[in-house]
Amino acid sequence: MLLILAAAGYGWYLYNEQPADIRKQTPVKELTATHIIHAFKENEIEANRQYVDKILIVSGRVTNIQFDSAGKATVFLDTGDPLSSVTCSFYNDETGAVKKITAGTAVRIKGICTGMLMDVVLNKCSIVK
Amino acid sequence: MKYYVLLVVSLLLTCLAFSQKRYFTKTGQITFNAGTPVEDVDGANSTTTSVFDISTGQIEFAVLVKGFEFKRALMQEHFNENYMESDKYPKAIFTGKIANIDKVNFTKDGVYPVTVKGTLDMHGVKKSVETAGTMKVSGETVASDAAFTVLLSDYNIAIPSLVKDKISKTVNIKVNCNYTVLK
Repeated sequence: MLLILAAAGYGWYLYNEQPADIRKQTPVKELTATHIIHAFKENEIEANRQYVDKILIVSGRVTNIQFDSAGKATVFLDTGDPLSSVTCSFYNDETGAVKKITAGTAVRIKGICTGMLMDVVLNKCSIVK
Repeated sequence: MKYYVLLVVSLLLTCLAFSQKRYFTKTGQITFNAGTPVEDVDGANSTTTSVFDISTGQIEFAVLVKGFEFKRALMQEHFNENYMESDKYPKAIFTGKIANIDKVNFTKDGVYPVTVKGTLDMHGVKKSVETAGTMKVSGETVASDAAFTVLLSDYNIAIPSLVKDKISKTVNIKVNCNYTVLK
């Protein structure tokens, strides 16, 4: 009986488990915005295998910052290629931290890589001090 | 004569440059709801790339399937591994046309109704999609708002019978973009 309860409890816990907070996780790699864009442009399949779903720290110079109507921040990093940047979509509660940086600043951003469209995209981002 | 030709050519080029005015965004929002009264299943993606051309009405949306975020970790895992198979099909792309683009005055602020027809390429299947939405012009920016419904079986997405009362057979998709002029 206890076992069944424990199993049910564990099942309930698994079912309700929230997505992991990327900010509390250890990154697997740190690289520059230029480096990651080159990796994807050279061989997207290999780069997908190497970086997608991985927690990364990407460093670079900020080219643009956008806030949506709900205040959610997106920061774009310079890659040296005017057509592609690294798009960093931030956690909703990181807006305050993003407001302290400006275009032109060099930053390190931690997030989870979701792949490449025109840009390489990082989700659930935060600024690394 | 030579100068006239040159003049005409340069005029034509200027016209061409103007007529190819494009709007784009890299932070478009796509949200979907596949829930039932038993359970709410919804995901959101805020890094959709989209571009449209005001002369041809050509419009395109591209999204990374892995970029959808969920309230529960398990939902995201099932979405990627079981339903969308995002390792195999990492992107979803819509290409189409705004049928009545000529009715939108991009130099006059206002909300304009639009009809979009095109092809949605998702989970390795291409299907035609048609929907109505609005474009709100304010100065140099355009905010688009549209919604449509897809049938999961159309895209070869099967729902196991165990969870069939939790996940809807149809999915409501909402698309919101804030475009700026592409220079």
